[in-house]
Amino acid sequence: APPSSTPAKQTSTTTSAKPAPKSTSKPGSSTNASDILQGVWDKYVHKTPQRVKLLDSFMAFLVVVGALQFVYCCIVGNFPFNAFLSGFSATVGQFVLTASLRIQTNPENKAEFETISHERAFADYVFGSLLLHFFCVNFIN
Amino acid sequence: MRWLFSLLSLALLGAVHAVSFTGSRLLVVLEDAKEQEKYGVFLGDLTARGFHLTVESPKESSLSLFKHGERAYDHVILLPTKSKGLGPALTAGNILEFMKKEGNVLLALSSEYATPTALQSLLLELDIHIPSDKGALVVDHFNYDSTSAEEKHDVLLLPYPKSLKPDVKNYFAGEGVIAVPRAVGQTLGNDSPLIAPVLRAPSTAYSYNPKDEADIVEDPFAVGGQLNLVSTVQALNSARLTVVGSSEMLQNAWFSEKATLAGKAVKTANRDFVEKVSSWTFKETGVLKVGKLVHYLDEGVSKKPNASSAVPENNPKIYRVKNNVAFTVEISEYSNTHLTPFVPATGDSVQLEFSMLSPFHRLNLKPLSQTANSTIFGASFKTPDQHGIFNFHIKYNRPFLTNVEEKRQVTVRHFAHDEWPRSWQISGAWVWIGGIWVTVAGWLAFVALWLYSAPAEKIVKKTQ
Repeated sequence: APPSSTPAKQTSTTTSAKPAPKSTSKPGSSTNASDILQGVWDKYVHKTPQRVKLLDSFMAFLVVVGALQFVYCCIVGNFPFNAFLSGFSATVGQFVLTASLRIQTNPENKAEFETISHERAFADYVFGSLLLHFFCVNFIN
Repeated sequence: MRWLFSLLSLALLGAVHAVSFTGSRLLVVLEDAKEQEKYGVFLGDLTARGFHLTVESPKESSLSLFKHGERAYDHVILLPTKSKGLGPALTAGNILEFMKKEGNVLLALSSEYATPTALQSLLLELDIHIPSDKGALVVDHFNYDSTSAEEKHDVLLLPYPKSLKPDVKNYFAGEGVIAVPRAVGQTLGNDSPLIAPVLRAPSTAYSYNPKDEADIVEDPFAVGGQLNLVSTVQALNSARLTVVGSSEMLQNAWFSEKATLAGKAVKTANRDFVEKVSSWTFKETGVLKVGKLVHYLDEGVSKKPNASSAVPENNPKIYRVKNNVAFTVEISEYSNTHLTPFVPATGDSVQLEFSMLSPFHRLNLKPLSQTANSTIFGASFKTPDQHGIFNFHIKYNRPFLTNVEEKRQVTVRHFAHDEWPRSWQISGAWVWIGGIWVTVAGWLAFVALWLYSAPAEKIVKKTQ
């Protein structure tokens, strides 16, 4: 079940050995870079809704596919150029569309998108994606 | 009655032994009608070959080379005249105009008479030079006829000429000895590419005026191989003019005379040589004709161009970049009576240019097959990777052959939008095709998962 939108508890991180511990005005603050990243990651895992995580994983997949194509192009060359553009822009375009769906359906943005229901956003997303796919298949001939 | 008709047509056919490719009206300009007998055998031979002779004096007021702006005759023989003026009809300008209208001229000179001024300027125009003084003739102390010119050495006995270059067909070849009595030697200028020698003087000959009383000739007009006894000009429109240095060469007396060359008795072969020279001059030999010219899109069924003469005349006006095109052309050579297949000299070939401003292809046309009357030459090539207006261009100018020039214009267009290779046919594009379809597959999986999963927040129904 997706987590509710109640404010999550602040996770406290244990501070590693530091010469002078900071003042205790901010409870649970960390000073280490890796601790910060760990904190961000934990907060992300615990606080983001399931659907948003699904969106994020699809976007990560698109980044990987796009990066692979780009690296291949750098190594082997960009002939035929229209094919490279078509393949690469498929991933980039899809990423942009998915990002806009994420913005519109993220519960944290609910205040800005009162008039657009999630179904409407998703329908727009599907329509845009189909247009993108049609364009890419046409452009690669 | 039918047998009578066929007999009549057979008789007519028999009368024609050889006929010129360009017409049979022949004008002989001869000042003194009494001299006609001297040339009787020569003129008789011409008549037997199918020419219609008209003998006129240059002083005749009705003589004209033209009628209503067209040639009145197809060929002209100019024999030597006593007077220096040839009359108003035969000025150098008129004769050149006659040649511009593709008329052929055979010009005979004599050392006995002065060359008329009209002919002097005509020859100057054509870059053929003759000695300016009257009476100059060609003398050879080693190749003379001991029977008739024991002391004067002015009758030369020469073998038949060899071909100019190895790859030029010799239309004047033969066996025997040619007598050239009292000839006016000619030299050819260096500027014109249209003049060619036929019979050259041997290296021991020189030009000499008997009236000159010095013991040795200082500064002769020309010597040796520089002297021509028979020279030719073929204009760019293939009109031919031959200068025969000795008009006596054409006379009966020398046609088959017994002579002595260096102690050996020989018979002159003048009749045969004169026949060859006049045949060439009057377009009975050395004439090329282009027949059917076909170019077509080679669809790739067979690698070799279609060699049969049954290829339908197709000649499309437009081709595409990088098309396979096959080109065939029929060329015949006219040989005295009929058209025969043309065979270029060994090592020589007719070339086809596919050109726009400058040739993109220059190909040797290979002889593919022969019909009864012609050889079919062909070549195949790929249109270049350049669009534009191109010409199929054949230009074949060889010594002693009429000039061949053919041009056909075609358009070469770009690839049409649906003629480009599809993406899957290009192996380099397979990765990107894969990229697109992986994206689509991932998207479909995402959509399925999204629709399967529950919404992020419960929709709060507004209660009325």
